[in-house]
Amino acid sequence: MSARDEHAEIREQLALFVAGALDTETEARIARHTASCSACAAQLERWQLISGGLRRLPTPQPSPSLIARTRAQVADRIAERAEQRQNRTVLILLVCFSWIVTIAGWPVFRFITGGVFSLLDIRFHQAWLLFAIFSGLTWLAGGSAAVLLSARRQQERRFAL
Amino acid sequence: MGIEAAVLQLRRGDLDALSTLIARYQNRVYRYLLRLVRRPAEAEDLFQQTWIRVAEKIRSYDPARNFDAWLFTLARNLAFDHLRRVQPSSLDEPVDEDSSADTKLSRLAASDPGPHDQLLARERASHLAAALETLPVIYREVLSLRFEEEMKIEEIADVLATPLSTVKSRLRRGLEQIRQTLEANYGEVQ
Repeated sequence: MSARDEHAEIREQLALFVAGALDTETEARIARHTASCSACAAQLERWQLISGGLRRLPTPQPSPSLIARTRAQVADRIAERAEQRQNRTVLILLVCFSWIVTIAGWPVFRFITGGVFSLLDIRFHQAWLLFAIFSGLTWLAGGSAAVLLSARRQQERRFAL
Repeated sequence: MGIEAAVLQLRRGDLDALSTLIARYQNRVYRYLLRLVRRPAEAEDLFQQTWIRVAEKIRSYDPARNFDAWLFTLARNLAFDHLRRVQPSSLDEPVDEDSSADTKLSRLAASDPGPHDQLLARERASHLAAALETLPVIYREVLSLRFEEEMKIEEIADVLATPLSTVKSRLRRGLEQIRQTLEANYGEVQ
């Protein structure tokens, strides 16, 4: 490689040198070259002025009110998420409860209305009608409870604000 | 409280931990966002969105990953989504200087001792900041991450989700463009 080529090659890499983006071998080579070449050393100095200037650029500060607003917004979002999770859990529990009441309540219902032996003598056309009405009422009760609970929570949130 | 402890506590929904993280990173995140979008009002909005996103996504954060890189990736994604929406051309081309004039010189200050040196340093800083702001966003962000955030090249590649070679090439081009701008507008760099 001619001396001129070497200078050109070194100068091409000076920007990455000041950015600390070269491998140690190349860095050492550039350091050796610039120690003995004043023209390339002068070029290096210019790149160092730029990189040093970039490192020392003043840091813009976010205002305290922005920080306060951010904290408040994040707190709201976390509370909102927690409430959504809680509502989902309550809904799942209500659905499970409704199914349990539906399934377990039927024999009790039959026992109360017809006695123990009537359990073995189900007349299907009437029994299924009663079962449908009973299930509908159970689900209606569960749904109403969910709506009431949700409305109450919303009201609580409004008062909290 | 350390970063790891704060992250663990935030995953459990502890808001004090979030305050710790905000206090630790507020200047860096805000500066990075401001470098990307250049307008303080937009940077402020993105700053808030970033921390909301942190609170929402903290459960999916892998503690084995560098938290800085994860946080800056969230901020970057929000900023680039915003830029795509409001200034699509800014992702490719340098914008005119007028649009960023209000953010350039007003926030610059220097800390050199003597009044004359202080003035010179302030002038140099303002020239440099002005040159930085004329760069396309892809160069501004790597320069900010490398020189202001002092991230390693590998960390920058992680934030940008690009190969190391791309980061290096953007760094080189960004620095070269800054130097060209400084030399074209203010003469030889000194």
